[in-house]
Amino acid sequence: MDVNMTYATQEMWTWWLAIYLYFGGLGAATLAVTFLTDMYLKPNRALVIWGAGAGVVLLALGSLMLFGHLLDKTAVLTVLNPMAMLNQSSAWIAWGTQFIIWMMVWGVLYALPYVRETEFPHRVPGIRDLIDKPFVIGTSKLVQRFHRSVGWLAVINGVGVAVYTGLLLQSFPAVALWHNPAVPLLFTVSAFSTAMAFLLVLMYTLLHDQADEHVRVLYERIDLVLIAAELVILFSLYQYLKNGSESAVRSLELLWNDYGWLIGFIGFGLILPFLLELKGVMRGWGSRVPILTAAVLVLAGGYLLRHYFMYAGVYAYPW
Amino acid sequence: MTHYAMVIDLNTCVGCNACMAACAMENQTPVWDKNKWRTYVHDKEIGLGSDVQRRFFPRLCNHCDNPPCMTVCPTGATRKKANGIVFVDQDLCMGCGACAMACPYHARVPVTRRDMREGREFYGSDYRRTSPSMDKCSFCDHLVEQGRKPACVETCVGYSRMFGDLDDPNDPVAQMVASGAARALMPHIGTRPNVYYIDDIRWRG
Ligand code: SF4
Ligand code: SF4
Repeated sequence: MDVNMTYATQEMWTWWLAIYLYFGGLGAATLAVTFLTDMYLKPNRALVIWGAGAGVVLLALGSLMLFGHLLDKTAVLTVLNPMAMLNQSSAWIAWGTQFIIWMMVWGVLYALPYVRETEFPHRVPGIRDLIDKPFVIGTSKLVQRFHRSVGWLAVINGVGVAVYTGLLLQSFPAVALWHNPAVPLLFTVSAFSTAMAFLLVLMYTLLHDQADEHVRVLYERIDLVLIAAELVILFSLYQYLKNGSESAVRSLELLWNDYGWLIGFIGFGLILPFLLELKGVMRGWGSRVPILTAAVLVLAGGYLLRHYFMYAGVYAYPW
Repeated sequence: MTHYAMVIDLNTCVGCNACMAACAMENQTPVWDKNKWRTYVHDKEIGLGSDVQRRFFPRLCNHCDNPPCMTVCPTGATRKKANGIVFVDQDLCMGCGACAMACPYHARVPVTRRDMREGREFYGSDYRRTSPSMDKCSFCDHLVEQGRKPACVETCVGYSRMFGDLDDPNDPVAQMVASGAARALMPHIGTRPNVYYIDDIRWRG
């Protein structure tokens, strides 16, 4: 058609949705990794309580970001109904809402027996009354019996949430930056990488148990592989955008000409932590500061990835 | 069956914006916000150097046969009627904005609670909106049901907008589309739109 195209970035979903996607992926992956660690590496009450607590809070805060921006908050009841997944099976938000709600349920349930075993909650008035209720005691016993099943439900659900965040962006066909299979992959890998980083921060600051050394080393190794995978996915995404439609090329220009993306995310959020963790894995560090620094950088990078992804989504309009 | 479609002749659109005004009054859209038109006429300069033309480009929801706004809608508020009209059930819509992100034609606008307050003042006691939601062109389905045409079509001074039934071989709109003279926007995206454009001066003689 004999018209000029115009290119526009959307103004509908911006930083608040980036936070939703970030907290959603990070929270769910944190719960999944925590429970896998507890089930197969080393039963670890403190890690479960902190990991599950933080994971549930992150999921709740992320969901609040989306909820806060709904035009009609009461209509959200439609997606709180699990049938929404079947009625609107092509809509990822319907799946994501259910995944996130159930993820929080599994998170609380898995941690419940540990919470009841811990002394501190019994000293907090409101919580003491709650966890000593016969219904809660019964539930806790039931969960203890089926601990692995609950754990696996959480793990599967957690992977679902992490993948969902990318699938949601992939479902918008007009934006080449989002509408490609690299995006769910990238977001899933990033969710698990940031979860490793988050748990490393927890273990190096609040939970100083020497016996957890091998868990920390394993997390560092896995994070190293995940960061490497993220770099590979980004490279292939770059190739896809470089040779893609006009919308893809415009997104590429926006991203790769922006210091926040290039230096902030790729430099400080991926390459620097990769090098710090690589040295840690190959030769070790004399102190915890470098790995802690790497973990904090990975966490910041995880947000930057989503932030710039939202802003660099370019639509091509034929007018 | 009926399958509604619109053809817009870019050669006869004079850029008077009467369609925008008619649509706004018929559908009580938020005229106080310049970004919230259901239909919008872009004023463009097309071409290079001495070969520059001024063109007006009306746009609206394309009532796609394969609407991505509907597939991403988590509440089921965006639906399609058997006659091809894609509509938003304002009571079901929670206003997440996914449909706006999915639409390749920038056809959706948010109507907020604040817009509703303004609407009650501006349109008075017969203001029809009952809840905030995403909003878009409905092909004036309330008029179409009465056998009339969409307000923008009825008001178009250049007879630039034409509305008809693609399933009726005698309908001029169906004939224009079948002839290939009227073409849809961005067919590569796979949305199968039902708004078509004629941009060839010669076609209508
Ligand atoms: S033009 Fe946009 S809003 Fe209209 S049906 Fe197509 S995708 Fe949906
Ligand atoms: S804003 Fe409304 S119509 Fe659009 S996707 Fe969300 S619920 Fe559906």
